[in-house]
Amino acid sequence: MRRADLLIGVGLLVIAILYYQQTFAITVGFASDRLGPAFFPRLLALALGACAVALSWRSIRGRSDPGPLPPVQARLFLATLGLTVAYALLLHPLGYLLATPLYVVAVVGVLGYRRPGGLAVAAVGITGVLYLVFVRALKVLVPMGPLGR
Amino acid sequence: MLEGFTLGAQIALQPLSLVMMLFGVAWGIIGGALPGISGSIAMALLLPLTFDMDPAVALMMLAGVYIGAMYGGSITAILIRTPGTPGAAATVIDGYELHKRGLSGKALGVSLITGTIGGITSVFILVGFAVPLSRLALAFGPPEYFALGVFGLALISSFVGRDLLKGAISGLLGLIVATAGTDPFSGTPRFTFGETDLLTGVEIVAGMIGLFAVSEMFYQIAESGAWETIRGKFSTDLPRWVEIVKLKTAMVIGTVMGTIEGLLPGGGGAIAAFISYNEAKRWSKHPEEFGHGSLEGVAAPETANNVVTGTAMIPLLTFGIPGSNSAAVMLAAMMLHGVQPGPLLFERTPQIVYGLFVGMFIANLMMLGLGFLSLRPAIAVVNIQRPLLLTGILALVLVGAYSISNRMFEVWVVLATGLLGYGMRRYGFNVLAMVLGLVLGFMVEVNLRRSLLISLGNPWVFFTRPISAVLLLFALITLLWPILRQLREDRRARLARAA
Repeated sequence: MRRADLLIGVGLLVIAILYYQQTFAITVGFASDRLGPAFFPRLLALALGACAVALSWRSIRGRSDPGPLPPVQARLFLATLGLTVAYALLLHPLGYLLATPLYVVAVVGVLGYRRPGGLAVAAVGITGVLYLVFVRALKVLVPMGPLGR
Repeated sequence: MLEGFTLGAQIALQPLSLVMMLFGVAWGIIGGALPGISGSIAMALLLPLTFDMDPAVALMMLAGVYIGAMYGGSITAILIRTPGTPGAAATVIDGYELHKRGLSGKALGVSLITGTIGGITSVFILVGFAVPLSRLALAFGPPEYFALGVFGLALISSFVGRDLLKGAISGLLGLIVATAGTDPFSGTPRFTFGETDLLTGVEIVAGMIGLFAVSEMFYQIAESGAWETIRGKFSTDLPRWVEIVKLKTAMVIGTVMGTIEGLLPGGGGAIAAFISYNEAKRWSKHPEEFGHGSLEGVAAPETANNVVTGTAMIPLLTFGIPGSNSAAVMLAAMMLHGVQPGPLLFERTPQIVYGLFVGMFIANLMMLGLGFLSLRPAIAVVNIQRPLLLTGILALVLVGAYSISNRMFEVWVVLATGLLGYGMRRYGFNVLAMVLGLVLGFMVEVNLRRSLLISLGNPWVFFTRPISAVLLLFALITLLWPILRQLREDRRARLARAA
C-alpha cells in the first residue's frame, strides 16, 4: 500500500505538472472575463500538485495504513477488459447485431459459464433486449455494419 | 405551496409518469436484488434512457429506482446474506436468521411494510424541510454558490471514505476532468487536444456510469469472492398486522436516524441503518432476540434506509449538494436536462420539485404493491448466474454509452473512467468525490469567476458576505477536522508508547 501510494503520488504530480503546462496552450479570447479560462485550471493544478506531494511524503514517512491488498484475478480481469475493448473497436466494422452476441458469448465464457444452451440464450437474449430498448424504443443509431447495408 | 402540490399531482398522475415510475420501481427492485448492483448503479444505468424525457418525469422515474432499490437490496440481504445495497447491510443480521428459520416471508414482509412506512414518512419530512430551506437559500448569489460548491466537495472528500487526502485528490481529479471542453465564459476550447469530440467536454453521464457502474463490474471480476445461492424451500407467509404494530418503536428510531443521515453526506443509508439497529436493540423489550431472528432487527434498519431516500433529497433540492451516490445521480440527471438545483428550482420550475414530492409518495406505494407481487420471482433474480449478470450489465453500459450522443467517444470515456474508478477503489480513493467534482466543476468555476467579475477582482467578496463566509469556514473546518483528529491520535499513541 505504501509503495503504491508513493507511485500514485509521483504519477499525480506528473499529471499536475502536465496539466499546468497545458493551460498555457489555451488561447485567451478578447471576450473573456478578468480571470480568463486558464485561471481555475491552474488553481486546480497547484492544489493537485500539493496533494500529490503530500501523498508521496506520507507514504515515505510510512504513515498510511499498511495491510496487504486483496489478490487480483488478473487473467480474468485482463481478458474481460481486452474483450470489451475489442468489442468497442469491432462495433463499427461488424455492426451491433454481430459484435454483441460474439462479445456476450466470449465474456460469459471467460467468466466461467460454459453451458452451450445457456450461452446461446444469453447471447440472443442480451442482444435482443438491448436492441429493442435502445434501437427500437429510443431510436439510437447503433452501427449496423454489413447487416445494415 | 398548495398550488405547488396541485401542479405536482397533475404531473405525477399523468399516465406516462405513472408508467415510468412503475418501471423505475420495478427496475430498482430488480437492480437492488441483483448482487453488486446498488441503487446508484441501477439509477446511473437508466440515465441514457432519460434524454428524451421531460425532466420532471425523468426525476420521478429515478426516484422510483432509488426507492425500489432499497427493498431490492433487502431481498438479497435476507435470502443470501449479501446486502444488495449498502443500506441493507444491517438487515443481514436478523433477516438472514429469520430466513434460516424458514420465516423468509415474514422477514421480507416486515422489510417491505416498514420500508414503505419509512419512505412515505420521509416524503413529509422532505417537504417540511425543503420548502422553508429553499426560501432561505433565495439570498444566494455567485459567491454563495461558489462557497456552497466548495463546502459540498469538502464534506464528501472528508466524510465519505477514510482518507481525507485521497478524498481531496479524488475531488480535484473530478474538477480537472470537468474543465476539459469549451470554456463557459470566453468560448475558447480548453484541454481538447485538437479533438472535436472533446469540445463539449466529458459527458457527466458517461463519467458517472464509468465511475459507479463499470468500476463495480471490474471490481467484481477482479476481486470476486464466493457466491451463495438459495437452497431448499422456505415459507412466504407474511407478517400479521399485530406483529407490524409491535414494531413501532423500531420504526420511530429508524425514522429519526434516517432523517439525520439523509441531511448529512453519508453512505447511502448504511450508517443510519446500523445505528438504528443498535438503538432498537437497546429500546427493545426483547433485546435477546436480536441476532437470532428479531423482526425489530429488520424493521429498524429497513425503516432507516427508506427514510434516507426522501431526506437525502433535502440538501440536493435546496442547495444542489448531493449527500450520497444516488443523490449524485439525481443531480446529474437534473444537469442533463438543464435544471439547476437550488433555491431557484422551487421558484422557476415548481412542477419538477412538487412533481417529485408527489411522485415519491406514489413510488413508495408502488414499491409496496410490486414488493408483494415480486416475493417469489425475486428469488430467481437473486440467483442469476454471475457471469451472465456481469456480461449483461457490461453490454448494457456499452450500448447505453454509445446512445448518449450516437458516437464511440462516450464508450471510451465509460471504459476509461471505469478503469480509473476500479483503481481508485482498490487504492482507497473516493469515487463519489470524483463524481461530485465532475458534476459540480462547472458550477464552482462559473460562480468563482462571476463573483470576481462583480467584485472587480477583489477576492474578499467571499468573506465579506456572511453566508459565503460561513460556508467557507465550514468547508475549512470539515477539511481540518480529520487532520486534527489524526494529530490527536498520534499524540495519544506517542504518550501510550512513552508510558
